[in-house]
Amino acid sequence: MGERFAVMGAGEVGFHLARTLSREGHSVMVIDLDPSLRERVEDAMDVGMVLGNGTHVPVLEAAKVRNCDLFMAVSSSDEANLAASVLAKSLGAKRSVVRVGIADDVTTHRRTYEKVFSADLLLSTQLLSTTRILNHLLGHSTLAVEYLAHGKVQLRKIHLEEGSLLTRKPLSEVDLPAGSLVVALFRDNELIIPSGIDKAQVGDHALILCRSESTGKVERMVSSQGRHYGTAIIAGGGITGHTVAQALEGHVDQVKIIERDYQRAESLAQQCPNFEVIHGDANDLNLLKAERAHEARSFVALTGNDEQNLMASLLAQELGVQTVVALVQRAETSHLWKKLGLMNIVSPRSIAAERIQSYIRSGYNANIASLKSGQAQILERTLAPASPAVGCSLAEIKPPRGIIFGAVVRGERVFVPRGPDRLEVGDTVIIFTQVEHLPTVQLLFPGREPAS
Amino acid sequence: MNWRPPLRFLGRLLLILAAAELLPGLCSLLYGEVSDAVAFVICAAITGASGGLLIALSRGKGELYRREGFLIVVGGWMLASIFGALPYMATGSLIHPADALFESASGFTTTGASVMPDIQSNGHGILFWRSFTQWLGGMGIIVLFVALLPELGPGARFLYKLEVPGPTAETLHPRVHDTASLLWQIYLGLSAVQTVLLMLAGMDLYDALTHTFSTLSTGGFSPRNASVAAFQSPWVEVIIVVFMILAGANFSLYYGLRQKRGWRSFFGDPELRIYLLITFGVSALITGVLMSSGTYSHSPRAFLDSLFQVAGILTTTGFATADYEQWPNTARILIFVLMFVGGCAGSTAGGVKIMRFVIGLKAAAREARLMFSPSHIIAIFIAGKAVPETVVRSVMGFFFLYFSGWGVGTLLLTIGSPDLETAAGAAIATLGNIGPGLSAVGPSGNFAFFAPWQKIVMVVLMWLGRLEVYALVALMTVAFWRK
Repeated sequence: MGERFAVMGAGEVGFHLARTLSREGHSVMVIDLDPSLRERVEDAMDVGMVLGNGTHVPVLEAAKVRNCDLFMAVSSSDEANLAASVLAKSLGAKRSVVRVGIADDVTTHRRTYEKVFSADLLLSTQLLSTTRILNHLLGHSTLAVEYLAHGKVQLRKIHLEEGSLLTRKPLSEVDLPAGSLVVALFRDNELIIPSGIDKAQVGDHALILCRSESTGKVERMVSSQGRHYGTAIIAGGGITGHTVAQALEGHVDQVKIIERDYQRAESLAQQCPNFEVIHGDANDLNLLKAERAHEARSFVALTGNDEQNLMASLLAQELGVQTVVALVQRAETSHLWKKLGLMNIVSPRSIAAERIQSYIRSGYNANIASLKSGQAQILERTLAPASPAVGCSLAEIKPPRGIIFGAVVRGERVFVPRGPDRLEVGDTVIIFTQVEHLPTVQLLFPGREPAS
Repeated sequence: MNWRPPLRFLGRLLLILAAAELLPGLCSLLYGEVSDAVAFVICAAITGASGGLLIALSRGKGELYRREGFLIVVGGWMLASIFGALPYMATGSLIHPADALFESASGFTTTGASVMPDIQSNGHGILFWRSFTQWLGGMGIIVLFVALLPELGPGARFLYKLEVPGPTAETLHPRVHDTASLLWQIYLGLSAVQTVLLMLAGMDLYDALTHTFSTLSTGGFSPRNASVAAFQSPWVEVIIVVFMILAGANFSLYYGLRQKRGWRSFFGDPELRIYLLITFGVSALITGVLMSSGTYSHSPRAFLDSLFQVAGILTTTGFATADYEQWPNTARILIFVLMFVGGCAGSTAGGVKIMRFVIGLKAAAREARLMFSPSHIIAIFIAGKAVPETVVRSVMGFFFLYFSGWGVGTLLLTIGSPDLETAAGAAIATLGNIGPGLSAVGPSGNFAFFAPWQKIVMVVLMWLGRLEVYALVALMTVAFWRK
């Protein structure tokens, strides 16, 4: 018998997840408010359906969340997802995954949310799609990102392709920006903790710790392609559009956002002086020409409507834009898009579903540093006055080879600690450790990891 | 219109004013001017009794809404000016009611324009009162009121905003009473420091206090005929220049310093940077003009005099250490242009305020850009923060009303004026709450020769400038009085 799951919200993410999990032979309960979905769900898969609001205890009880292996709150309402997660956990669900809308919630305040709403994995569809969109736009090959120390530090898992700097030189000779460090390489399901003389190989997944400000630089050095100049045009100024625009700053010369809704356009214009906000319809060929779309290097269609995205992408392609990326809500139509020559399709729901599936497959390890068996972990510890490591220098601690002090966050400063650097009270230390050294780390840095 | 709550407020305001009138009485007594002291006591009694009468008339309940708020703010400034005029008449220093009202309004609105022909012929008490009204009006009499009375409730926020309508009305504290108290604490602190410094520079307590009052309020009344030049002391001039510049900067920056936000954020304020740039840039320009034209031979003196006059006009204080009317026309026109600029938003200075110019300039540039890309939506940013469109709209309207006010004022003042410069200068000197204007109303001139009705026109201009136009104009619209 498989595991037991409960999925709250039978929208695109929930639907996709429930179907995949039930096909794999697990028992799945689906909770949704909308009675019209019942038939669609029951026709498509062999799952139990509970009609009702997931923030009500009787509904959760009917969905048998007690002792279920994973509760997935993936409805479209952040508030309902967060509340349901707390309830489900207190009713006895073993773990919970919560989907939220705003990227900031995940990048900066993840720990707070995970702690307060007892979520084991917090994910933002917007953030996941943004990473994917940037891969397409800028030629990055980021597989996953984990945000540490209130978003000041990121751990990025990057697929190394032919031509990457890391595969050409020994690691010690690669001049990564200050505060960055290659902590590990994954090669054929093996974890390698590299020393300076090691070289990465094409096909490796590199785990790189870096300051959030320098992620662009790191990506540019590690990926095989150079910097993309020119204009990027974004059609649709919703949350995803805004997040992508922010992420593109510094990578491109100019970001133009076309938004149909006047008020949304106005509030977008007020959020950042560097965006050029245009009120209009991205399907309007004259508008695109007036905005010199034919000279743009990249075009991203990010409205909430597949038909509009399709039309806008085709127009952009026709005008000769080099890279066209489109957001597609209905993942099942993606092969049609590809037939039309639109190869860069991002489906936020299937990405979210994939992330949750990989979480399940990893044996419920939210840590991106971990492999299937959980050979390694990334820990974030803030030093309390009583911590035995306070006042010690790295040379005195002499960590064994399996433990890496990846970064120290002191106030606004982030640095990779060297031998003589001493740790102070209030420092947040990011530690990468192989599982067998976990007890040593626990001894030096007592504390509990809220997320793992 | 519900008359009761505004009348009750105004009554209480008069009681505070009555108490304030006793202080110069004490000053008269100390200098042995007994008849003046008696006059002040009588004025205080009349003011207090009127206040009591208003309170007695307004017994009963009544809610405070927006319209009533306008009556309180505009009525407060009018009543303060009117009752503040009583001591001038009672002590016999200004007999004509229009003269007394002009001097009183010039005090409370921190204008500093005077109709007194020979200032030093007056008693110590009345000259103390003259400077003291500026100090009271500098931070705003409604702000004073809100700071003194914690029980005003939600209506207080609206009153505060009506009186301090600057384009960036920051609230330092969630409770408006606390914000007002904080502002007064900063104001009091700066006053204490300046008084002590002026005394160290050789002034007696009386001169130090009166000059402090008119410096920090950016008023500009001096008990000396020759203004600050009477002291012949570079130290006094430097201290006053520094404090004029301090008074013309946004007071919330001082709050930031007190909250240990550091000098970086203090000097990072974009408005402060422009303000300092204008102050020192124009001073340097004028120094150049003065040296090349041979008006001065000693360059440090030329620079100090330029800086003093520039700071005096830009912060709308109006103190004088030199008569810019004797300077070349290039320097005069630079001074005239500064009259339209004013200090920073959130300061005690008058004028259009630098922030409005920055917003206005950016809004105008935006209109030009929208001509060729009409579908773009462009927000106006100040220091990385977007300015709400309602503020932009209000700033554009402000320019129109302000310059219309100046135009109409100039027109009315040309009647019987020796020249156009006098009329235009007098209109901006009163509208901008500066004090000295051009030509016949320059630093060594005087406003006495205007007809009584023209003095009333200038009083209205002073109120208009002090309340930053909208509150007074709103009262003049028909829709305001419609049921």
